[in-house]
Parts: sequence; structure tokens; C-alpha cells
Amino acid sequence: MADGASGSAERSVQVKLVLLGEAAVGKSSVVLRFVSNEFQANKEPTIGAAFLTQKCRLEDRVLRYEIWDTAGQERFHSLAPMYYRNAQAAVVVYDVTKASSLEKAKTWVKELQRQANPNIVIALAGNKVDLVQSSTAPAAAATSESEDEADDATATPGEAPASGESDSLRQVPREEAEAYAQEAGLLFFETSAKTGEGIVELFTEIAKKIPIDQILASSRGGAGRPGAAGARAGAQEGVNLEENAAKSKDSCNC
Amino acid sequence: MSTISTQLRNFKEPTKEQQTQLFFALPPDMPRGEKDVELERMECQASLVLSGEEVFAGKLHLLPPYLAFCSLDRKSARFSIPLSTIRRVERLNARAGVYALSLSLYHGMKFVIHITSLRPTADLFCSLLRDALKVELQRGRMKTVKTFVKTCYSEVLVASAENEEKEAEAAKTDDNSSSSESAYLGGLGLKFKFPGDPKKLREASKTKLWTTYLKSHGRNLTLFRYAQCTRLVQVGLPNRLRGEMWETLSGSLYLRYENPDYFENILKENEGRINTATEEIEKDLHRSLPEYSAYQSEEGIASLRKVLQAYSFRNPETGYCQAMNILAAAILIYMSEEQAFWLLEVICDRLLPGYYSPSMHGTLLDQRVFEALVHRCLPILYDHFQQVDVQLSVASLPWFLSLFINSMPMVFAFRIIDCFFCMGPKVLFQVGLAILKINGEDLLQIQDDGGFIQLMREYFSKLGESAHPESSDPRARAITRFQELLLVSFREFAVITDDTIINERRRYRSEIVNSIESFSKRSAVRNLKTLGRFTKEQAGLIYDALFKAICVVPPPATVFPTPALLTTKDGSEERPETRIGLKTFKIFLSEICTWARDERVVTNGVSSRVERNIADHELIDRLFFFWDTSFRGALSFQDLLNGLDGVMFNDLMENIEWFFNLHDKNKDGYLTKDEVLTLSESLLFIFRFEVGDAYLGAVSRFMSNAFEYGDALLPRSDAAEPNDDSPQPQIESNQPYMNLATFRMVVLADEILETFFETDFNSTFKLEPVPLDMPSSNPSVLGSLWSNIASDDNRKFFNIVTDQIGRTIGKHQVYHRPAIGKITSLEEPKARESLLTPTMRHSTSSTSLNTGASDSSTNLATPSVSTSPSLLTVDTPTPKSKISPAEYSPMPTMLQAAANAAAYMERTPFAIDDAKDDEEDTDDESAAEDDGVMDEVDAFLEEHDTGLTDADRELAKDLINAEPV
Ligand SMILES: Nc1nc2c(ncn2[C@@H]2O[C@H](COP(=O)(O)OP(=O)(O)O)[C@@H](O)[C@H]2O)c(=O)[nH]1
Ligand SMILES: [Mg+2]
Repeated sequence: MADGASGSAERSVQVKLVLLGEAAVGKSSVVLRFVSNEFQANKEPTIGAAFLTQKCRLEDRVLRYEIWDTAGQERFHSLAPMYYRNAQAAVVVYDVTKASSLEKAKTWVKELQRQANPNIVIALAGNKVDLVQSSTAPAAAATSESEDEADDATATPGEAPASGESDSLRQVPREEAEAYAQEAGLLFFETSAKTGEGIVELFTEIAKKIPIDQILASSRGGAGRPGAAGARAGAQEGVNLEENAAKSKDSCNC
Repeated sequence: MSTISTQLRNFKEPTKEQQTQLFFALPPDMPRGEKDVELERMECQASLVLSGEEVFAGKLHLLPPYLAFCSLDRKSARFSIPLSTIRRVERLNARAGVYALSLSLYHGMKFVIHITSLRPTADLFCSLLRDALKVELQRGRMKTVKTFVKTCYSEVLVASAENEEKEAEAAKTDDNSSSSESAYLGGLGLKFKFPGDPKKLREASKTKLWTTYLKSHGRNLTLFRYAQCTRLVQVGLPNRLRGEMWETLSGSLYLRYENPDYFENILKENEGRINTATEEIEKDLHRSLPEYSAYQSEEGIASLRKVLQAYSFRNPETGYCQAMNILAAAILIYMSEEQAFWLLEVICDRLLPGYYSPSMHGTLLDQRVFEALVHRCLPILYDHFQQVDVQLSVASLPWFLSLFINSMPMVFAFRIIDCFFCMGPKVLFQVGLAILKINGEDLLQIQDDGGFIQLMREYFSKLGESAHPESSDPRARAITRFQELLLVSFREFAVITDDTIINERRRYRSEIVNSIESFSKRSAVRNLKTLGRFTKEQAGLIYDALFKAICVVPPPATVFPTPALLTTKDGSEERPETRIGLKTFKIFLSEICTWARDERVVTNGVSSRVERNIADHELIDRLFFFWDTSFRGALSFQDLLNGLDGVMFNDLMENIEWFFNLHDKNKDGYLTKDEVLTLSESLLFIFRFEVGDAYLGAVSRFMSNAFEYGDALLPRSDAAEPNDDSPQPQIESNQPYMNLATFRMVVLADEILETFFETDFNSTFKLEPVPLDMPSSNPSVLGSLWSNIASDDNRKFFNIVTDQIGRTIGKHQVYHRPAIGKITSLEEPKARESLLTPTMRHSTSSTSLNTGASDSSTNLATPSVSTSPSLLTVDTPTPKSKISPAEYSPMPTMLQAAANAAAYMERTPFAIDDAKDDEEDTDDESAAEDDGVMDEVDAFLEEHDTGLTDADRELAKDLINAEPV
């Protein structure tokens, strides 16, 4: 019953991806933006890890991201291996307005490189760039909806003064993080879950870098099986890479 | 970067007394500050006699200030009541041979207890009870009861029921009309509505049932729990009564009763305080049950903040852990802030111990236990999970950590929580197993973690639907999936008892502790900024030594810095780095460095052993401050590693320079005369147990050479007349005197010192732990017993006995193991005598030294055993062993030492000999470690054969195959 339930010639490739990073850097928000293209003050608390899925199309392939969004509090650290084991990809998130969060990100990268799947694709994401961009810029990036909740507690650049001001919030220069990413062999992006900037690119580039054929080859039995039907996750429109949502619906489990 | 905690090591199983207290949900013993008298506890056989002739045999416990009873089966009848609620105790003069007491409570309820223990026991019990009651009376506790119970909703229920009886015509429809209700405490639900539809929840009929129960069987402080109580709880508590019943069933009510105003006060005392916990709390306030309307308002958020903060102030060690926000938010719907505060404490500290601690060891442990239970009860499913590599915990962790609140619709989670407070933590395991069992068929189809989670999600979303929608029987159709879940939990998994959980926890505890500790070790090593020249494995060994030291002398508790220091926003998320003080450092160093410990080799003809004590000398203090490069008065793991890196890889010249720098306190490139003396003492300290006087000679030559060269090389002051009588200018003992070049020259002038700095000094540092047991060369009957002696206490005892035997047969010997141990007999070469004649030495040293130092210098010029201790007085090994001082001389005479050492040589290899072997050992270690890298954290998820019997397996198979009810 495993194969062919979706009736499609395409086999969706399952990619396990884990998000790591200090608390409140925006991991859950990044996932939410990717999965349902929205940004809201936190809806769901993360205990251990939240699990979400999202399908996306890459060239002629369909990728099904299984995303594990981990809790960020330091004491949950020892639980993280449970979620990153067997992961093909990891997004390590830091907050560009908080220098210490990059340090934490580096320790995550170290741990992943030493303990996780050796072929894991790691991306470093400097989130909340919207906070450090001059007030003229967002117009270009604002492909997002106009939500009221978007103005939440931590996003406080309420004062509207000119462009130079907002940049003072930045604590991690792009160049510094980029250089580190290069040195450590990571993909690098600056993102904003709030405006959507960089999010799709992030997941697209990861998808490109994943050795898909290898995964298909190694998991012939399992990968093609019907993805247990998308919970709220797969059913949204929004990500341009994404395939027809209906398909995931009728491929229901047994 | 890293916090090193040894807390898990120090775990002690609760004593029997503590277990009793736990069972009766009574507050643990508070530090008895105000309570001047420690009242005696006692238990006796007794039966609770109900009016309807029903009798429950059981045990009566006097646990001042409580009286508690439990029936033998532990579930048919029990109570735990404060003594202060008792108004009268009468001895009934009933039939002969029956020792009966009638007790009446403040609200008029009476009950009869037959004490069935022997007469004297019964008498004693009664007199202790009388004393305890008297104390409560004196403390004025009797008066507090009435005010306290006004805060309880149950009183309102009972009162209104009584009113109704009186005025039969009063047609009160709902319970929100009377004005007298205002005094009781309640939760946010009173204002923001309780979750769920009250009709569907059958609130009215539940309330009625409970009112009847509470009226006849006591309530809040005086609730008597019979089987019916449990049954009523399983049906679901009515919303308004729920909070109070949670308090009562869990025992947090007693904490609130015993500590009036505590909650308000702790908040007041800590007002405005900001620390890591409060910051983390702030982050989570808006993501705690955000769908519930109260948490969309400032009022709800403020309550949540207060409760979480108050807990973190009271328990700074735990502080705040994500998931506690969910718990607090949930219970606040049904109870006031103060009630929630105490209930949270009972949950976190008693019911789910260690769940929310910084290491979360309780969570990991219970996940391991749950896995073992799944293995035992649902073996087919377990095997499937193994096969497709699915981890139970990805789904079950949040079940346990947030009591299902996060996993299933709230109304259902609250029903499970009702049972949890009533029946204890085993409920979580029972429900967890039932969930898996009910979904067994589907679970056998899943292929990975993600599929598992999604299946569970779907199941939880349909809990309200009919369990048997196709059934023709309407009654079967009416059974919801949730009801089915409870049925399976409490019927089929009734085999999971409190004792099961206790035993399983005990079984897996050390496994979990080990995996946590090795996880922290690996992250500590990984998080080092630099490894220096060490390998990861060597860094691991250094960590081990540090950990061992911390176990003995824990570093000072990380005190909360003052609020002012913490208001800076960029305080990192991590807990503060562990840093050790001097005392811990000494233990650490003694693990690694041969001269930092005093090792006495004891031979008694039966066995040989090494007794190790921590050495104490200024050199060690000096090293501590030398390595404290950031001047914090405490050293981190990184500091220690850097320090060792600075000394262990040195060659001859670097060692000389290092030693020089160590003693150059002001780092001006010069040693003062005082410092030269200190340096000599350091050398003597290191050499203190070396055999023969070669080393003493070397040090004395060093000193005389030092002062001779030092004087010779002093820049002559301009003022000094060239033909002055005094050949050397005088220089103060604390003035710059000798530079590195001179020092080097002096050292190299002596063969022994040269070899010391070239190789011997490095080899005094050994990362590999040196075992204390020495294999006996001639295993005698007694000696071979040694290997069978497991516990430390027994070993101590064994040692004492065999020492006595040894003494009797004249084979008892004690001598010190030297730090270097190279020279093993007295015929060792005396160093290069060439450079200076003894007379020269004598004269130069006596002229160059000022009075303060002359004492030691003269002594040194004629090295003798008797004088050396004076230099070594700082070295006072703590005589831990029970050997009398007579046999134990701090510095054995050289002759004896030599003889001993010769004997010693026959038995064991010297530490210095096998440096190479160490390398190999290290490699072995590292290979093993690398293998274990992935495994250790996941250890609790690892396959584990619990040794099921075939019968068990069959039974479990039946369980999984059986049709759900
Ligand atoms: N301005 C801004 N705020 C963000 C962004 N991403 C997340 N946040 C906010 O940062 C806070 C923490 O986000 P969350 O996703 O819960 O972080 P997590 O703990 O890493 O999962 C929330 O208040 C978010 O609204 C972003 O890109 N820009
Ligand atoms: Mg999150």
C-alpha cells in the first residue's frame, strides 16, 4: 500500500529538517512564515519540539519538509539530539539584534557537525533583519499580508526616525556572520519572519543542496509512502515552490 | 560556557518516613526554626469504623501536626487531617478488649477508630496524640481553621445544601446567586468562563453528587477519601470545585494552610527583581494557552506572571522551565494565584520530581520508564518502533511534561489531570499506554517520527467522537473515544501501580544520570574556546578530574547577582559558568599532579593500598592565582585547561621559565630574595617524599648558588665605594633581585635540577587517573578477599582489620609515595659537586642572607632529615585514616623510606615509568568515546532488553490484541 497511493509519477522526497537556536530568536516564526506564510505573535508554545510539514516543488521534484521546531530554552538542549538525529537539514537561527544569539548558534553548529548525520546540510539564518533595515526598505520586501498582530512586543522600532537610526539595533554585522558561515561551510541568509524576506530562499537553497537522489536511493521502501496527510501544515497556499495542496489531502494514510 | 552540576549524584532515595509523608500528600518537613519541640511520630494498627457498620482495617499514623489513616489496600479509605481540625477525642468504653476512640471535627463530623495494636502501643499512641493536640492548641492553630476554610468553595456547597434542607421552598437554580460565596477563592474561569460546555459536562449533576459526598465525608482539610471519591473524580470534577479538589487531593492545600501570606510576601520581597528566570518567563507569558480568553487580557497575564515568578523566587535552582507556563496557565483557570503557586510547587517538586530542573533528569527518567513499560506491555508495537526507528519520546515527552494540556483538547486534558492529582503520577503512564494500545493497529503502519506525531494528533483531535460509531447499540455509540481511553487506562493498565513506577525509576536512574553527565561532559569539551595542545580525550580527562573535585567540594552556589547587575539586557541565556574556588582546586590538582597529593603506601602483610590525601602548600595556592588570569578568584574549566596547557608541554627551558614566572609575583621579570626562598620551598615541597637526600642537596645548592650569583650580578650602586669593606651592596628582601637568565644559570648548574626541569617535572602531571588499589604481589587468603569488597565502608573496615593483623605480625608498613620517585636507593649519585666547594657555599649563603632567611639557609647547608620538616610545616596531611600518630611520621626517616621504597618497587610500577602506556590508554579511551558519541544522549531511547519472561510476553500480546472495551 505504500507506493502509488498518491497516484502521481512524482515521488515526493521526504526531508527532515530541524530548527535550532536560542530562545526567542524567531525559530517558530520562521517556520510559520514558511509553512503558512503568516506572521503572528506566538500561537503555540513549543514543548520539546513542534512538528510541521510543508511540501515544495523544486524543478521537477516534490520535496516534503518535515520540520522539527525545537524549544529554545537552554535546559531543553539535552533533548535536541532526539530531534536532530537522522535530520538531513538544519536551520540554525540567531537574532541579528542580539550578539549572544550568534554565539549560541555557533555552539549548535559545532554540535551538529560533530554529532548529527554527517551529510547534514546546515544553514545559518540571521533573523529579524526587518528591525535593522531603514524605514524605506521594507516596501520592497513587504510581500506579506497586513496583519495587525505583526506589531508585537519585541518588534519595537516604533520610533520612525530616518534610516540611519534603525541600524543601531544591529549587533551582528552581516559580514561577520557570513564570514563565519563560509568558514564553517554553512549556507547563510539574513531573514525576517515578519516581512518574509529571505525565508523562501532559505528553504529553497537548502533543498538544492540536499542530495535528493541519495535519499531516494537509500530509503526506497519508506520515502515514497503517502505522507501522512498534512495536518494544518500542508494545506496552505503561499510558498511559490509548493505543489498542489489537494494532492496531499487525498493521499491520506490508509 | 558550561555549568557542571553534580546534583544528580547526590540523589538519595526517600526514607521510609518521607515516603509515608509523600503518600499522605503532607508537606515535607520544614526546617524546624520556630517549632521548638520535635514531636514524636508513631503508627499503629487501627480500623476506621463507619456508622453503617462498615469497617476498614488499616494503619493510623500520627505525623504531627497531622493525623493520617490508610486502609490496608491503600485505596478503600484514607484521610490526612490537620490536628487543628480535631475538637474532641474520647475513649469509648465499649465492649471489653476494644480500644476505641471517637474523634469529632470542627464542623461536627464524628468518626470512630479502633486501635487494634496491643494495649501498651495504643496507650502510647493516645498519649502522643494528646501531646500533639496540646501543642497545636498552644500554637493557636485551632482558631485558624475557620477562617481558612472560608476560602474553600466546598464550604459554600455544603452550606447551601444545608440551607436548602432548611428552607425547602427556596428555589435556587444556579450557584452564582448567593452573596456569601464571595469569600471563596477561585480561578480565572469564574470571570472568563471555564472551557467546555457546562451542559455537556453535566456540571449540575456532578456538583450535586459532590455536594452529597462532601457533606457526609468531610471536605478540604478534612476530606475522607473512599473508593467513591476516586470514582467521582474519574467522572470529572465540576469546574467550580475543581481547583479546590486539586489542592486537596494533591496536598497543596496543606502547604497553603501552613504558610499563610507566604505567597504575597515572597512576591513583595522580590519585587522588581530581574534575572534569567524572570526574563524567560516574560518571553513565554503570551504563549501560554493563548487561545483562552483570560490570557488575551492583562489580568490573566499578570496572574500568570505572579505565579511563575513566585515559584522561581522560591526555587531558584529550578527557576523557570518551559512547560511550567502551560501548567500554571491551566491551573489558574480553576484556582487563585496563591492556590496555583502551591499546587505548582507540589507538581514540580513532589509529583514530577526533576521534570523541570536544569538537567530535566526527571523527564528523561520517566521517558525511559515509559519506554520500558511499553516494551513490557505492548511488545509488538515496541518492536515495530524499533524496526522503523521511531522514538516514543517525540510524542510522549510533551504528554508528561505538560500533563497532556498541550496535546489534547483542554477539557479532556483536565479530566486526566483530575485523575493525576487523585491517583498520582502513575496515571500519566497508564493513559500513555492506553493511547498507544488503542491506536495499536494504526501505529503498526507508521514508518517514522513524523508519521507517529501526526497519527497522535489526529487521534487527539477526535477524542470527543464516538468510539463505536457503527455500533447498533445506542449505549455503545454514546461512549466517546475519551471515555474509552480512560477505561483502557484504568482497567487494562491497572497493573501499573505506584510501586511499578517507583521501582522502574530506581532501575533506570543511574543509566539516565550517566547519560546526562556524559552529555554535559561532551558539550563542555566541545564548548571550550580552545583545547590548547590537548586532544579532546585529554580535555575529557581534565573534565573528569574537575567533576570529581566538584563532587567533593561543590563550588559556591551561583548566587543571584544583584538586580542592578542584571538589568543589562544581553545577559546570555546560559546558566552561569561553573567556577571552582581554591578548596576545590586543591582536590582537582591532587587528581592530576603527583606532588599535590600525599600518598601513603600501607602494607600490612595482607594487602597493600595507597591512602591519598590532599596536599596543602603555598605552591598550590600560588598556582591557583597564577592560572586565574581574569582575576575572578575562581577558575573555570577553560582556565584549568589553559593552565595545564601552559605547563604540561614544556621543555627544559620553558619549564624553567614557567617556574620562574610562577614565583615572580609582580611579573616584573625579577625574583626578590623572598621569592627565591619561596621558590626553594616550592621545590622542597615537590621533593618532600623523594628517597634519599639528593634532592635536598640539590635545593640547598640551588639556594647558595642563587644567592652567590645573584649577589655577583647585582648592579653595583654608584654610591658604593669600590674598595668598600662589604663585598656586596645590601638589597632589601623584597626588591628585584634575580632575573630569568641568572635563574636559568643557577638551575643548569645542578644536574638534578636540570633533569627535574627537563623531564621529571612534566611527568608529575598525569591526566590518567591513578588507581588507589595496588595489586598484592603475594595474594594470600585475606588479600584475595579484597577484590570482593565492594563498598567503601567495608573497605575501610577491612583496612583497619588487616592493619591490625599486620601490626601484630610485624608487617605493617607505611611510607609516602614520592612525587617523582626516580631515585629509589641511597646510592644515587650526588649531583655535580664541581662548581662550588662546600665551604664556598657555606660562606656565601651566610653572608648573602639576611637574618630572616638565615635560619633556613643554614639548615639547608647541612641537609638533615630533622630540619626539613620545618620547611614543610605547611604540609599537614589530614590524617583521615585511623592509624595512630605513632606509626605515622610526616617525613619518614630516609633510611626507613628507602627500605620501604625498595619493597614498594618490587610490587608496583612507578608512575614515572609508564608514560608511554598512558598514551596508549588515552587512545583506547578516545576510540571508545567516539563510538559512544551519538548513543549517550539517546540512551534512554535505546533498545533495552528488560528480560521479559515468556509468560509476560504472552500476557502483553493478549493485551495488545484484545478488543478495546
Ligand atoms: N521584528 C521581528 N520580530 C520577530 C521576527 N521573528 C520573530 N519575531 C518575534 O520574536 C519573538 C520570538 O519569536 P519565536 O518565533 O517564538 O521564537 P523562538 O523561541 O525562536 O521560536 C516573537 O515575539 C516574534 O514575534 C522577525 O523576523 N522580525
Ligand atoms: Mg519556538
